Amino acid sequence: MDRRSLLIIIFAVVLRLSLFTFFPSLPDLLTNRVELSTPVTSFKRLQEGLFLYTHGVSPYDGGIFHQAPLLLAFFTSLPSSSLLVHLIYTLCDVLSALSLITIASSKVPAITPLHTSSRAAALCPPWAAAAAFLLNPFTIATCLSRSTIVFSNTVILASIAKAVSGDAIPAMLALSMASYLSLYPVLILPAVVLLCYDMSGSKMPLSSYATQQGGVFFAAVAGLLGLSWMVTGGSWEFLKSTYGVHLLLPDLTPNVGLWWYFFIEMFDSFRNFFLCVFQLHLVIYLGGLCIRLRKQPLFVCTTMLGIMSIFKSYPSIGDTALYLSLLACYRHVFPVMRYTFFATSTLLYATLLGPAFYYLWIYAGSGNANFFYAITLVWCLAVTVIVADALFAVIRDEWETERPDMKGKDIVQI
Amino acid sequence: MALPRPLRSTALLRFLPLLSSICILIGVAWLLLLPLDEYSRNTYISENALLPGGVHTYFHGSEQNVFRAYRHEVAALGQQNASTNEVAQVIGDIFKGQGLKVGTQKFKYEAGGRVYEGENVYAVLEAPRGDATEAVVLAAPWLNTDEVLNESGVALVMALARYFKRWSLWSKDVIFLITSDARAGPQAWVDAYHDTHTPPMVESLPVTSGALQGVIVLDYPTAAPWDRIHIVYDGTNGQLPNLDLFNTAVHIAGNQMGVRTSLQELHGHTDSYEDRLRTMLRGMVNQGLGHATGPHSVFIPYHIDAITLQVSGFGNHDEVTMGRIVESLFRSLNNLLEHFHQSFFFYLLLGSKKFVSIGTYLPSAMLIAVNFTIMAIGLWLKSGTKPKTVDAAVAITEKPSDEKNEKKDTEEKEKKDTTSDSSPLPPSSPHLESPRPLLLPLLFLLLTHTLSTIPLLLFNTLPHTLLCPAFTIFSLLSLCLPLLLSFTLHLFSPTPQVYTLLRCFSLLSLGLFLSALATLNFSLSFLIGLGAVPVTFIKPTKCKLVAVLQHLVLAVANPMVALVGVAVYMGEPLGTVLGEAQVGWEINGLWTAVVVWGVWWPAWVVAGVGAWGGGRMVEN
Repeated sequence: MDRRSLLIIIFAVVLRLSLFTFFPSLPDLLTNRVELSTPVTSFKRLQEGLFLYTHGVSPYDGGIFHQAPLLLAFFTSLPSSSLLVHLIYTLCDVLSALSLITIASSKVPAITPLHTSSRAAALCPPWAAAAAFLLNPFTIATCLSRSTIVFSNTVILASIAKAVSGDAIPAMLALSMASYLSLYPVLILPAVVLLCYDMSGSKMPLSSYATQQGGVFFAAVAGLLGLSWMVTGGSWEFLKSTYGVHLLLPDLTPNVGLWWYFFIEMFDSFRNFFLCVFQLHLVIYLGGLCIRLRKQPLFVCTTMLGIMSIFKSYPSIGDTALYLSLLACYRHVFPVMRYTFFATSTLLYATLLGPAFYYLWIYAGSGNANFFYAITLVWCLAVTVIVADALFAVIRDEWETERPDMKGKDIVQI
Repeated sequence: MALPRPLRSTALLRFLPLLSSICILIGVAWLLLLPLDEYSRNTYISENALLPGGVHTYFHGSEQNVFRAYRHEVAALGQQNASTNEVAQVIGDIFKGQGLKVGTQKFKYEAGGRVYEGENVYAVLEAPRGDATEAVVLAAPWLNTDEVLNESGVALVMALARYFKRWSLWSKDVIFLITSDARAGPQAWVDAYHDTHTPPMVESLPVTSGALQGVIVLDYPTAAPWDRIHIVYDGTNGQLPNLDLFNTAVHIAGNQMGVRTSLQELHGHTDSYEDRLRTMLRGMVNQGLGHATGPHSVFIPYHIDAITLQVSGFGNHDEVTMGRIVESLFRSLNNLLEHFHQSFFFYLLLGSKKFVSIGTYLPSAMLIAVNFTIMAIGLWLKSGTKPKTVDAAVAITEKPSDEKNEKKDTEEKEKKDTTSDSSPLPPSSPHLESPRPLLLPLLFLLLTHTLSTIPLLLFNTLPHTLLCPAFTIFSLLSLCLPLLLSFTLHLFSPTPQVYTLLRCFSLLSLGLFLSALATLNFSLSFLIGLGAVPVTFIKPTKCKLVAVLQHLVLAVANPMVALVGVAVYMGEPLGTVLGEAQVGWEINGLWTAVVVWGVWWPAWVVAGVGAWGGGRMVEN
């Protein structure tokens, strides 16, 4: 790790700890923001669950707690000190940054065994990748809100970093942890397996390699579920309150996603149908992306994470922050992107107008739910534009690598 | 960034300042059109449950004698210069004698070295037909906004308390509140009612009731007969009460009692274009400043609709008329089935029976905010184009070959069905965009925004005697700051591109904040937008005259001059205005200062830096 990365990490740690220390009301304020804390990641709900758990009541009985049992076990084993909690969250962000540094310094975003980008010279330096993650206001806010999405993000990035180094088993273990914590990361499994396969240079045929790694993944998930079963006193109740909630959306608290308003308006008879449609919608991108971008499985991971941050059942700003930080590793294709300024401005507008409209709806009472929903639509539009534009840029870059004579030519979409 | 082909040419950039000015002109013209009949609407009662003026009122005859007795008591206390504690004791005893539950609350605030303390006293009439989940408030400050004894107002509240107690028709609790002053007292009471106060400075309330549905404040400091009612409706931070409450008051006063109403201190409104415009502009200034215009203002941030009724003029109405108006108003409030929600929360009033709703007026503020964003986009595109000489060379070398290729290859390509398009490249095609140095402008912008905490802290914490000198020194320093900052920036040897990007980001953030603000406080956004208009057009220039002109414009259109302007408008010394702002920040939670110093001031500083440093750049 070079000196710049180190400086950025130190600065980020100091920044986070000083925000925690000198603005003691800030974390609680952010914890209550619906943009940062969803029913499945909220720190407040985690505390509620912890209280019930330590008092011998099953936290999964009521409709409050929807997080993984091992989080409960982890937090009960800690002495109750807010400083320690702050340190843990800061440490998680640092670990994420280290993973990003690994990813960026491996040069995989531009150079894979199957593909070498013509723009590889402009590759994002590791320190910039770390800075894009650690100094991103969205990441900082997520860290301060102590949303448990931080843990998922850390293990997702750890998994990708391991995959980039070709260590398949640790990658699978980390990914199983991520999927265990928040279900949806399972969607990047195929891409991570492909990435491991490419990077390890395995002589095995892909199908048997995939079966083997898939086996490791599912065995690890089964192990984690077994552990959870033991932790919750031999009951499978937690499955319904955690993964059931991700899948069935019983809690309609507003968030930055597209689901809550839609399912508030839904007639009950159509609810199950649309639940299936919405969930399947997330899956359909996977096959196409894996096939089209076979040469760059890391970008499939990135794009899938971006799509998830828009379309999953309980998305938050933290998901978008993860996507944007991975996207920063693709700095070399930014010049080919077409709508960076437009999308960034839209994102900023949504960031400011979201809280304003939420205030008008909930506190001032002079607005209503449509105000906030409109802004979540704008937010999702901005992220969608970025995802689509980045995809365009990467494909264009691939094309220019194959046909260098086409560099600088305009493209018209038919 | 690349744009769709027609937008990509640099020729378009030349039109962006024009487009920007058109936006501003339309925005201002739009506002001036609003008072016309075609764009405004007549007010109407939207909530049918209110039934304003639908009941006969019985407050007269013997009640008047009771009122006079109370007024005598109040006047006696006023003449003795009784302490707030004694006042609270006496009034509390009177309420107790009427059979009401009584509570008192001491409070103490400090702002700018001055202490604001006193004691509120209030009584709760428990609804004979309700379940204590909802309440309405009738309030009167002991001293009104002008620090005059609210003689008849307080007496009328007590007389009405005695009178209301005898009725069995109340379905909401009625709270009678006498606050010891017009600003800190109501704030302390409403904070404590919602448990957001800070004990021990502000005491908790011993008795409470249900959710507050509406508040009517009486400001009636004379014993003389009066002519009309002046309705004050602006809340703190530019929030407004539901229009239905205002309409109900106007309707009851006008149609049931035959009393004229006025607003925004414009008595003798003739319903002409000028009067409507004046009313609207005064309303906008009050909303934009966001200060508490009366004791009712502090209730509105809690989503409690409130208005103040002030008597004004000399005429032929007396306390009985006022009592009957209040009685009728409370009968209407008593009918409410749910919280005020039907009518508008965002409106501009042009007269007591004319208004403009948000859909009609919002575009004007948005257009002003959009002008900044348009310029930001223009500057972004400009920052991506290479200097002209290089541009031309590239265009010359590439164009001919491309055209030839096109002619030759067109047919082939159509057969192959490729997605490429090989028409000549416009000069600012994405692949010719020069890379932009983003870090320096962003850090510089961050620095100016960080600097803006200095005036914010300074003017909100200094003792009030030092405010005026501090303001003078700060203004002078502010005027020098752009020069100083541009020297600092020159240490990093910036290119002209850095200046362009700096202006781009500054305008972008200004546009962002103003458009978000327009949804919260339309008037403030509009006024600051207008004040910041010159920022859009300040650009590095070679012409000495233009440069001097730019510096002059910047020296005039800035937050400091605006503050002096506010002082002149209000007819108060500058120190008082600054003191008021400080008290507003400390006690009422006023956000105007944050917007002025945190949004407008940095944008102004960056424009100044652009004019100083950027100008030198061009010369070099």
